[in-house]
Parts: sequence; C-alpha cells; structure tokens
Amino acid sequence: MSFLAFFLIVVSLVSYVAAQIILKRAMDATKTSGFRDVRFVWRITVGIVLMTISFFLTLGLLQRFDLSYLYPFQGLSVIFITLMAAVMLKEKLNTRLVVGALLISAGIVLVSMS
Amino acid sequence: MQNRPAGFGNPWLQLVLSIACVLVSEFLLKRGATEVADTDSAWSWTGINGLASPLVWWAILLIVASFISWLYVLRYIPITIAFPLSRVVDILIPLGCWIFLGESISTLRWCGIALVVIGLALVAKPIAQIEERL
Repeated sequence: MSFLAFFLIVVSLVSYVAAQIILKRAMDATKTSGFRDVRFVWRITVGIVLMTISFFLTLGLLQRFDLSYLYPFQGLSVIFITLMAAVMLKEKLNTRLVVGALLISAGIVLVSMS
Repeated sequence: MQNRPAGFGNPWLQLVLSIACVLVSEFLLKRGATEVADTDSAWSWTGINGLASPLVWWAILLIVASFISWLYVLRYIPITIAFPLSRVVDILIPLGCWIFLGESISTLRWCGIALVVIGLALVAKPIAQIEERL
C-alpha cells in the first residue's frame, strides 16, 4: 500500500469521526434551540461536507482495494467515536461501553482480515 | 428531556432502518464502483468516476435515507451507544455473503463475528436504563 493510499484512508477516517461528533452536537442542540437556529444549519452543513469527503475517498479506495482490506480501518471508527464523544460531548462512559467498543473494533478487524 | 416518540418515530426502529439501508448500500457501492473502475485515470482516487454506475446512485439514495434516520437516532440516543450498535452491519455483511451468496466463513472470521456479538451485547445492556430515563 502506498503512502498516498494510507494518507487517504486516514483522511477518510478522521472526516468520518469528526462528522459524527458534529452531527450529534447539532441534533442535541435542536432539543433547546430547534431546527431554525443558525448554528444547527452550520453544523449540519459541515457534518454533511465531511461525510461527503469521506464517502468519495472511500469510493476511490474501493476501486483499488477489496472491501475486506479497507474495513479494518473503518472498524477503528467505533473506538475513536466512543472516545471523542466522551471527551467532546461529555457523554458518560463506563467500563462496559469501553470494553464493548474495543471488542466490536477487534471483531471487525478480525472479520475483515480473515 | 423529551419523551421518546412511539411507532415509526421510535429511535430504535429508526436505528434498525438506518442499518438496513447501510447494509444494502455497501453491496451496491462495491459492485457499482468495481463495474466502472478506471484506475488509470488521475481523478479516480477521488471516487468521482463511480458516479457513472447506476448502482452507485441507488446506493447514494439509500445512504441519504439512512443518514436522515441516523440524524433522528442521534437526537434521542447517546452516540456512545448508537454508533457501536450501528456497526452490527459489519457482521451482517459477511453473514449475508455466507447465507445468500454461499461464500465460506473461515474460523478466524467466525471468531471476529463472535467478538462483535459479545461487544454488541455489552453495549446494548445499558439500553434498558436509557429507556427508563427517556
């Protein structure tokens, strides 16, 4: 795998994780400020742009690599999103959730590598 | 805290719908992207040329549907629970290939599936408590 391919996989993963956290923050805010708030529109737009970047990069990578080869990287998103949600969104984490996320990620890696 | 909507608005039902759309779209994307693959093109790294396949457009439609469901899910369910649960799709894909396409699953892959199932069970356990709060 070339450096470019690895770089694009990382960019795709980071965009995806960031998009999910921003979208969650946008939807949380609708409970108090509704859907017409400027910040809601802004966050949803940024989230969609990041998801779109991640989508097209994945599509480009799929044309060169097997889905089974790319999936372990997507599996890591479970761990990253869980941790980022705890840090940035202050969602409560407990041992059960952390172990669950780790097992799911490890399982996805095994499923795709085998 | 808002009351959890029932029926079609139930966020857990929406989570299932979102997962189902993602599942089908993954198969369509892989097939569509491969059909029109032109790895010699300089722009092909961007995946833009995948749009030449009708299957990719169907996949995009399903992705939009799953995205709307997912936004709805995010409004009601913590992402630390909803996101890990949404990755059930990662074992449904190989299981789908095994059941419908007759592909074999190696021992290592079965081990991976087992790990994901245990992980999902651990994450899903607090759902009862969340339901009480909602």
